[in-house]
Amino acid sequence: MSSHASDKFVYHEPGLQHQFEDMKQQEESVSIGMWMFLVQEIMFFGGLFTVYLVFRSKYPMAFAAGSNHLDAFWGGLNTLVLIVSSLTMALTVYYAQKGNRNMQVVLILLTMFFGAVFLGVKAIEYTSKYEDGLVPVAGLNKKVKENPNAEHGAAQAKPCYEMGHGAEHTYINPRGEFQWVDCSLVKVAEKGGFLTPEEKIGYYSNGDIDADKFRDKVRIFYWIYFVMTGLHALHMIVGIGLMTWLLWTAWKGTYSHDYFAPVEMSGLYWHFVDIVWIFLFPLLYLLGRHFLH
Amino acid sequence: MSEKHIESGEGHIAIPGYLGVFAVLVVGTILTYWAATKDMDWIFPGANTLVALLIAFTKMTCVMLFFMHVYWSPKLIWLSAIASFFWLAIMFAYTMQDYLTRSSGVFST
Repeated sequence: MSSHASDKFVYHEPGLQHQFEDMKQQEESVSIGMWMFLVQEIMFFGGLFTVYLVFRSKYPMAFAAGSNHLDAFWGGLNTLVLIVSSLTMALTVYYAQKGNRNMQVVLILLTMFFGAVFLGVKAIEYTSKYEDGLVPVAGLNKKVKENPNAEHGAAQAKPCYEMGHGAEHTYINPRGEFQWVDCSLVKVAEKGGFLTPEEKIGYYSNGDIDADKFRDKVRIFYWIYFVMTGLHALHMIVGIGLMTWLLWTAWKGTYSHDYFAPVEMSGLYWHFVDIVWIFLFPLLYLLGRHFLH
Repeated sequence: MSEKHIESGEGHIAIPGYLGVFAVLVVGTILTYWAATKDMDWIFPGANTLVALLIAFTKMTCVMLFFMHVYWSPKLIWLSAIASFFWLAIMFAYTMQDYLTRSSGVFST
């Protein structure tokens, strides 16, 4: 005697969960759920982009000065690394649909490798910020005591607007505070006549360019830089975690023509993180780059 | 469109298509850097950023349509993707209509 109440034969796809009518409905439900998650991620990063927009519209020259100090080579390299990882991810989904286990495993490993390269480059960049005194939290920068034998006042002879980009200066930072010496861009904007009303107040004391006030505005840029790239790096770490799980399940041959939703959804997440970087690269690394060329 | 929605992966652009999108993204990245080094302030101050954002939006559209398969997805996915940018635009617009008008106009000090 059959355990089924109905004697009609109903075909079930092997990958179909019981709460869905058919495979199409299941796939649509899964992707709409993932997209809802991504929409809130866009709003999450969007809040930070709003902060960026507000402060950059107030102090564009301080942002340009801070951005000029970021290494566009590393930033550009990381953009390319992420684009390659997005390609390998897209191909992973392609081969998952084809049920090709070996190609899936190879491409997931490649995606993880490029993700790790990205984080490695980020670590190099953060280290250089630490050594240059550009971490906006006092005490978190490299501490260098003043040399008692050095002549006093020799380094501070020039005003900040004559320092110029990449000017040599001795790094003395006994308390590990945020440091900034170059405010030459304020002079450039002054001559060009494009200082914003906030800048005319925010960079000057008694009509003179105030190095400390300018430094504090550059510090805002570095706060935004560290929070946004840090949050992005955190997403990369989560992504590599997802890839590890995906690697294990793909190794076991879980995915096929009929069931590949986890690969596709992890792919959506990975591409989203790539898109965030596509915006972070020009907005953080390339501001005011034309002042240097 | 449900007819357009793929169930077997056949509708996707396959490997040459993915490589083509990849090439567009690489060219876009190089173009972004190149454009940033050119002084466009003669158009209006900040024109460089506008160009950078236009390239970034193009790159994003490519990733979303083809890598994220939005092109072959149901209308509901299109709606979600577009709506998120609509909400973002509301956040930007209403924040900036405050900040940009604080020191000017009839109510300024």
